[in-house]
Parts: sequence; structure tokens; C-alpha cells
Amino acid sequence: MILIEHLSKYYGKVKAVDDISFKVKKGELFAFLGVNGAGKSTTIGVISASHKKDTGKVFVGGIDIDANTEAIKRDIGVVFQNSVLDKALSVKANLENRAALYGIGGAAFKKRLNELIALLDFADILNRPVGKLSGGQRRRIDIARALIHSPKLLILDEPTTGLDPQTRTMLWEVIERLRKETDMTVLLTTHYMEEAANADNVVIIDGGKIIAEGTPLELKNKYTGDFISLYNVSESEVELLGKPYEKIADGYKICVKDTNEATNLIIGYPQIFRDYEIIKGRMDDVFLSVTGKRLGENK
Amino acid sequence: MITVKSLIKRNTVLFFKDKGMFFTSLITPLILLVLYTTFLGNVYEDSFKSVIEAAGLTIDEKLLAGCVGGQLLSSLLAVSCITVAFCSNLLSVQDKVSGARKDIVVAPVKGWKLSVGYYVATLISTVIICYVALFAGLIYLSVTGWFLTLSDVLLLILDVFLLSLFGTALSSVVNFFLSTQGQISAVGSIVSSCYGFICGAYMPISTFSQGLQRVLSFFPGTYATALLRYHTLRSAFEKAGEALPKELIDGLKDSVDYNVYFFEKQVSVSVMYAILIGTVVLLMSVYILMNKGKKTA
Repeated sequence: MILIEHLSKYYGKVKAVDDISFKVKKGELFAFLGVNGAGKSTTIGVISASHKKDTGKVFVGGIDIDANTEAIKRDIGVVFQNSVLDKALSVKANLENRAALYGIGGAAFKKRLNELIALLDFADILNRPVGKLSGGQRRRIDIARALIHSPKLLILDEPTTGLDPQTRTMLWEVIERLRKETDMTVLLTTHYMEEAANADNVVIIDGGKIIAEGTPLELKNKYTGDFISLYNVSESEVELLGKPYEKIADGYKICVKDTNEATNLIIGYPQIFRDYEIIKGRMDDVFLSVTGKRLGENK
Repeated sequence: MITVKSLIKRNTVLFFKDKGMFFTSLITPLILLVLYTTFLGNVYEDSFKSVIEAAGLTIDEKLLAGCVGGQLLSSLLAVSCITVAFCSNLLSVQDKVSGARKDIVVAPVKGWKLSVGYYVATLISTVIICYVALFAGLIYLSVTGWFLTLSDVLLLILDVFLLSLFGTALSSVVNFFLSTQGQISAVGSIVSSCYGFICGAYMPISTFSQGLQRVLSFFPGTYATALLRYHTLRSAFEKAGEALPKELIDGLKDSVDYNVYFFEKQVSVSVMYAILIGTVVLLMSVYILMNKGKKTA
């Protein structure tokens, strides 16, 4: 769906994006991670043809962005981090205006509006001014706005930031349903690592460069170890294992290189492993390991 | 077509729904009305009377009211067409600040459609408000002293439209360079507070120093105000001319900017129209060229 080859973008002397290449398959949920200023938004801007690139090639749906920008824009829907709805206008007017930008009006608009109402459940707020909606309701309309023209690629730029857990869950259910029913590709940037953990593929960008990429499992295996939580044991028993550990509630957390090492420990010390669990490293740990930063930090 | 229509509708509705922007655009006309009701009306009236009485003559009270009312109406329209256009067009900058523009350009909307959307919406908002002001002014004149002919009224309608076109084109060019809330506030305040002075709405340009008059003679707004003044006062001065000597009437015309001069040469009405239309065409061409030269998609 997306193919990027040696993309670079400069703002004056600042390299916002520095020779990055990656591809996103059709129907995939692709997570793009990086701290603020890493180059995520610039890359999204180039893919959605709202920013011009300096060098490299970008193909969306097999179309070269240099050859047919308009066709690419028709296939893309974007949900920005901050809501860009017109607060003084009603939900319906906002969606109607958005549809008109794609040449959709009259009966076609009404049909699509009804589909989106069914999908996102906003019939009761259709005629309410956007300024009077709650954050979660507004986000639902942001998504409806991005989907009004039935795009093949949905770009979500930190879509769940600031949302309550219930709305966040609802949004992900909608996105998952869309992916299943329409095979829509989703490109996601997020600060929530558990959202990235559900992605098919992940790219981590820092200082405009890609510094890690792969499936969440590949990244976890490559950049973090496993953790064993051991319960109902004494500290002296844990020390016997000869591995770094830390005390947690009701037990100890032991760091191991990988699942293999964990298996060997269990086989070697069965008397200690009476009550335990093995947990893979989290995406937070991957991100910290490859960037030396936590998401949400700039340094 | 559906895209342009929708953009125009959106931009127009947003202007009228944004009470802050709407009332800001009316600050200058409101200042003028307050000035007029508190003292400016009396100043105009006294200046007319003093000139006439100094010549040992008198003027009919209704005719005097018609002259003063015509001067007020022309001043009001001269500033409204510009300040309303500037404030209405600030939506194009607010869209940059809020991120709405970023969202719009993600859609397959050609740059010219976006520009036409802002331009026409600004023109519509300006024309609606200024025609309402014109209508109210005409009612006021019909009560205080009506001397206008049908052609005066029709030409006033044309003047307001041309001046709205001028205000829209000028604001489009200026706003093109703005991108922050601070710049919006600065430009809104400067235009609202200054335009009334430099176009001769608060005080006639003839009362300014010679040097300043020279500078202002290069401003197209000077001729736009003079056109409105010509069509609001022409019939009243014609009527006054039946009872008063020509020299006296000419003096009055000069004092209220009915006659305007470019380096001592009186500028005719047809030249005023040519200047106004030429300026609109020039500013629109500049605006189109600027949009063509824009870097981002």
C-alpha cells in the first residue's frame, strides 16, 4: 500500500526526515513510533501529499506521489492529533463540508453519512454544534470525517491521546472492524505502547532516521529480554539463580536474555519454580532500548 | 463546483457564527456612529453653517441634514467595506492557526478552489453587511433629508460592491503572509483603528496637512471614499446650488472631499472608478500569482 524509498525532507538546514525507506502492506496496521520532533508528522505529511519531499520516492497504492497527487489524496483519510472540526458548525455540516471536498454530495453523501452513523453511533449528536461535544464524541466525528470518502489508507496521528479508556476501546473496535470488513490499511502514530503492540509491523524513528523495524515480537526478541515473575520464594532462593532481579509485590522479577534462557533456568531449578510466569519485554522497553528515551519525552 | 460552493458556504457561515470576528469587523463603523452622535454630526453641521453664514446666506435645515447625513453615510460605507472584508478574510489565517487548512489540503482540493472559497465568502459577507448598512443609511436619509436620485442610489450600490471587491482583494494579499494568532490580532486592530483616518472617514482629508494629503492621494482608498461621497452628496449640493453661489458650493465640496486632487489636479469620477477597478484587478492578479508560487501542496 505504501512504499517509501530514501525519503528525505529538510527544513532549512534541519533534516526532519533523513533517508528513510519502508513499506506498508495492504490491510496492515502499521505503527510509526518516535518522540516529538522525530520526523513522524513530516513523513505523514509527505505520504498524504500535504508536504513536499526533497528527495526519494513515495508510492501509495502503487501510484507515484510525484505523478498523481490527486489520486493519492482520494485514497487517504487522516485523523490529526488535534481535532480540526469547525466548532461553530454542527456535526452534519462538518461532514457535509468534508464530503464536498471529495465531490460527494446529495444522495451519495446521505448514504455514506448513514453508514458512518451506524459504524460510529453518533445519530443523537448529528445536529449538535461540535463545540458542545465531549472529547470522545469529537474524536468519533474526527474519524467519521476522515472516513467520509471511504479511503483505502487511514492515517491516525496519535488518535487516542487524551481520550478516556472507554472511548479508546470503542475507537479501536471500530478500526479493527473496518480493517476486517474493508481490508483498509492503517498507519498509526501513538504514545500508547499497548496500541503499537497490536500492530502488524512497527517502525521506530529517531532524529529523522529509522532505527528499528519489524513485528512487535521481532522487536521484543531483538531489543528486550524476557522477565520471569517468581512467587512464593525467598530472596536467598532467587540469588541462587545468579541473574539480576528486583523485588515486586508478592515476589521477585528476574531478567533473562530470552525465552530459551528462562526455560533452562526452570529445568535447572525446578524446586524454585513453583509459582511463576514468563513475560516478554514490552514495547516500552523496546522503545527505551533503541532510542534511550521514553515516548512522551523529548530528550 | 460542489467543492467551491461548499467552501464558500462554510467560510461565510463561520464568519457570521464567530461573534468575535463579526463584531470586530463592525468596530470602526460603530466608532464612527458614536463619534457622529456625540459630536461629529454637530461639527459637520457647524462647518457647513459657518461657511454659508459667513457669506451672509442661510441654508434650509433639511438640506443641511441631507448634506451631513450624506457625509456620514459615505464615511460609514467607506470604512465598513474595508474593515468587514479584513475581519471576514481573517478566517483564512485562523484556518492556518487551527490546523483546519492542513486538514483541507489533505483532500484533493486544488489551491485555486481554496483561494476562491475564501475570496468569494469574504466578498459575500462584506457585501451583505455593507448593503444592510447602506439600506439603513438610506432610511436614515429619507427621514432626515432625502435628496438622492435613483441613479445616485444605483451608483452607491455599485460603489459599495466595488469597494467590497477592493477590501477583499487587499485583505487577501495582506492575509496571505499571516500565520499566527498574534498577527491576526495586530492586523485586525491596525486596520480597524487606522483605516477610518487614512481614508478620510473620521475627518476629511482636506483638513490634513499638505504633505499628508499628498501621501494619501496615492492611496486608492481615498478615491473610493470620494466616490461614495460624490454619490451621497451630489444631488444635495445640486439643490444647494440653486440658492447658494457656485464658489461657495465649490468650497464646501473641497472641504468634505467631494472633490479630490492629485497634485492640484482634480480627479474626475471616471478616473476614480478607473483607479478603483484597476487596483482591484492588480491586487487580484497579485493574489493569484502568490497562490501559484506557494510551496506546499
